[in-house]
Amino acid sequence: MVKQLFRRHFRAIFFIAACAISPWANAQNLSLSGAKTVVTTPQVRAELLAFAPDGVEPGKQVMVGLQLTHQPEWHTYWKNSGDSGQPTDMQWTLPSGVTAGAVQWPTPKKIPIGTLANYGYEGAVLLPVPLEVSQLFQPGVLSSELEVKLKAVWLVCHKECIPEEGEFAIKIPVKGSTALSAPAFEAAKAASPRNVPNLEGLRSSAQIAGDALQFTVHNLPLSLRGKTLDLFPETPEVLHNAAISGKDWTQAWKGVVWTASMPLSAQRSASPRDMAIVLATADGAEAARVEAKVVGEWPKVAAAATVSPELEAALKANAASQQAPVNASGKPLNANDGMGLLPALLLALVGGLILNLMPCVFPVLAIKVMGFTQQAQLSSRSGGTSVGGKSTLATTGIAYTVGVVLSFIALGGLMLALRAGGEALGWGFQLQSPWVVAALAALFTLIGLNLMGVFEFANVLPSSLATLQAQNPQIDAFLSGVLAVAIASPCTAPFMGASLGFALGLPAWQALAVFAALGIGMALPYLAASLIPAVANWLPRPGAWMDVFKKVMAFPMFATVAWLVWVLGQQTGIDGAGALLLLLVGMSMLVWALSLRGRARTLVATLSVAVCAIFYWATGQYVTQTLPAGAATAQLASGWQAWEPGKVDQVLSKGQPVFVDFTAAWCVTCQLNKKTTLGQADVLADFAAKKVQLLRADWTRRDPAITAALAALGRQGVPVYVLYKPGSAPVVMSEILSVGEMRTAIAKL
Amino acid sequence: MLRRHLAFATALLSASFFVAAPAHSAVAVGQKAPDFTLKDTSGKSVSLADFKGKTVVLEWVNPGCPYVRKHYSVGNMQSTQKDATDKGVVWLAINSTETSHSDYLAPAALQSWMGEQKAAATHTLMDESGKTGQAYAARTTPHMYIVSPQGNLVYAGGIDSIASARTEDIKLATNYVKQSLGETLAGKPISNAQTRPYGCSVKYKS
Repeated sequence: MVKQLFRRHFRAIFFIAACAISPWANAQNLSLSGAKTVVTTPQVRAELLAFAPDGVEPGKQVMVGLQLTHQPEWHTYWKNSGDSGQPTDMQWTLPSGVTAGAVQWPTPKKIPIGTLANYGYEGAVLLPVPLEVSQLFQPGVLSSELEVKLKAVWLVCHKECIPEEGEFAIKIPVKGSTALSAPAFEAAKAASPRNVPNLEGLRSSAQIAGDALQFTVHNLPLSLRGKTLDLFPETPEVLHNAAISGKDWTQAWKGVVWTASMPLSAQRSASPRDMAIVLATADGAEAARVEAKVVGEWPKVAAAATVSPELEAALKANAASQQAPVNASGKPLNANDGMGLLPALLLALVGGLILNLMPCVFPVLAIKVMGFTQQAQLSSRSGGTSVGGKSTLATTGIAYTVGVVLSFIALGGLMLALRAGGEALGWGFQLQSPWVVAALAALFTLIGLNLMGVFEFANVLPSSLATLQAQNPQIDAFLSGVLAVAIASPCTAPFMGASLGFALGLPAWQALAVFAALGIGMALPYLAASLIPAVANWLPRPGAWMDVFKKVMAFPMFATVAWLVWVLGQQTGIDGAGALLLLLVGMSMLVWALSLRGRARTLVATLSVAVCAIFYWATGQYVTQTLPAGAATAQLASGWQAWEPGKVDQVLSKGQPVFVDFTAAWCVTCQLNKKTTLGQADVLADFAAKKVQLLRADWTRRDPAITAALAALGRQGVPVYVLYKPGSAPVVMSEILSVGEMRTAIAKL
Repeated sequence: MLRRHLAFATALLSASFFVAAPAHSAVAVGQKAPDFTLKDTSGKSVSLADFKGKTVVLEWVNPGCPYVRKHYSVGNMQSTQKDATDKGVVWLAINSTETSHSDYLAPAALQSWMGEQKAAATHTLMDESGKTGQAYAARTTPHMYIVSPQGNLVYAGGIDSIASARTEDIKLATNYVKQSLGETLAGKPISNAQTRPYGCSVKYKS
């Protein structure tokens, strides 16, 4: 009995003593603070595993890892959790001399949820972490083990999400082998993406191209080559996670180089210099991790579109004083409210009329002149009777007007529709697109070549189309109206800026009426001329001079091409401008070839098609690439700084006045003002004397921040010149600057 | 001859317009905030347009989400709401949870939950169809937005800077909504206009 009791007690005493001496002798499930190797929740079984096949010593491989086994349909998250969720977080407590490396995240799975997508793991996953053991590591006196403690936090989701956490501890014998979990660690290693080295000259890149990132990836392992790959962005908050391959984004192999265009997230909150991505085969069995260097400038976030209440009040007062002279009854007009539809229409009519006097119309002057001389030709054809000539003149005048008005409405309607769709753009947006600029350059080249007599349209176009047009000069007049609006209307004129700004706050049909009024205003002088009988009589008689005149008129067309190439150069850089010129050469060759006859035509035409194709293949992409924003800033004249959101307030807060030039390369009026006024030495000296900070907001390319800043001034287009003085209302200057006006305004500072 | 050219030209031009017009779905900061009309928890129609001229905060909410509870359980969301509404800011809490989801709360239940929390939102709105959430690309609860008096989106992102479900992190984090409201009401540019929203996914109708 006693013996038994003793024995029982002895066992207990022995057990307690054993625990005291070597409490973790059978370590796997016991530890100091109650922490253990396994934590089980209803959703997840989490286990801390270790792998040290050669014991714990400097230079030997020692791995630990958290294994998460999910209940069916539940998941936890990858390093980048995607649109929602949270990556599993591990905090290690290690003895001195031992440090934890980075988690070797296995390739995740994309988990789409409707319009959103997450990246994570289902089933079982091991998140391995290598331990670095240095010479400083000394196992305890009594134990010969490495004690590893882990506090892990994970979010597990299915339909709902549950944040969970666990504390774990494990002891790894310093001597001897810990290799029971070897298969799990080997499987995790196989499931992890391989790092792709960036070799000299073959650096993988991610080019910023508008709303997308264009990846060019080199050195991918053989096992991935030629396959359709899944893309997992390791760098979060940049790409549109839910983008579907083949629908929202595309990929292609160019030899051994993998390329893809991936849309950016609309609310991107990160602008990294390097973009890490994991590319995997569809089954996820093979994966590679790439660090792509980001090329280009991240588009600025149009954040500072807010105006302080004081500044807003000042702006309103200013807008009223600007427009006061317009209203005959003397009522102050405000760009945002108070103006009726009728005054707005009148204002638009006057604005459109003045547009004809703006330098922006230069490029289409030649077309208008040509129009009139063609009338001369037509009136002579119609038997020389002034009656026939007059009526043709009148109908073409009306056709031109219809062309202008419809184009204004179409352009205005398109702008309203795009804005309703969330695009931040204003008047003149068409010339912000390199595509449109390039198309116009091609068009004017063709018109110029045609006037030069290099080719005849009858040889290029189907004859039915050609006859139709020859019989209806009105079509010609209509189309010249369309062209005039496309190229000459982007700049705003006095009164036009204010009425456009007002129009955008109106219901759609009223806004379109304002656009129509602008068009009527622009077409009015030509329409009036075509309706006044005397004008027809002023036109010279046709004769041999017509041919010379036609050829002379080709040169303004080519001058327009030169200007458009320059605009494209501002948008896409020297490579873009060069590429466009090459394409124009190819196109010229093609139309000339089509005007040849017989065998020569077939031969040369085929050759020129080939030349065009080669030029396009070699350089086409440069024409529409967007230049990094920084490139334009570098070209600023001395004394000028690039405008940025919030910069005006910043400078004003220092007590310094500010002048902002809202400009664009495609705005001829802006260029002229720059030359005749803003570039003048005495104006610059006046600015310097008053310590005015000069800022230039270049709207040549699309820039939502500038669009927002213009809107805050009640404007929708350029040019806009604003002089800000600390503590008083900003002064919006006239669209046509003069040295006198500028110097008077500066003197008032 | 000129006229034939012009026909070709117009064709070219219209083609290039086609190429030039990009496709966009979600609103970005700096753009016009999409308007919406939703029923509040008492059945009244509320439109964003009703608040033109005022700064408006949009909060995506789902009481079933632990991240939402993180901010409500210690009064952080409520104090942010109160700070804002005291300054004349309109606060709209929007729930885009679909009706068949286990997290879904009927208007009355949501209203009483907000009441228990002593929430200071101007209105609590029901978006069961998820259309408003999708228009704003709201992806998490909470997900926060600020609309300027001019109707432009000026902030989109998280409630604060530490993405976790732990309430202890709140005092260590920068509250982006408080910071952005402070800046925008003072007429200053918002220093972090787009941040990372964090939390559960919005339980949209599929």
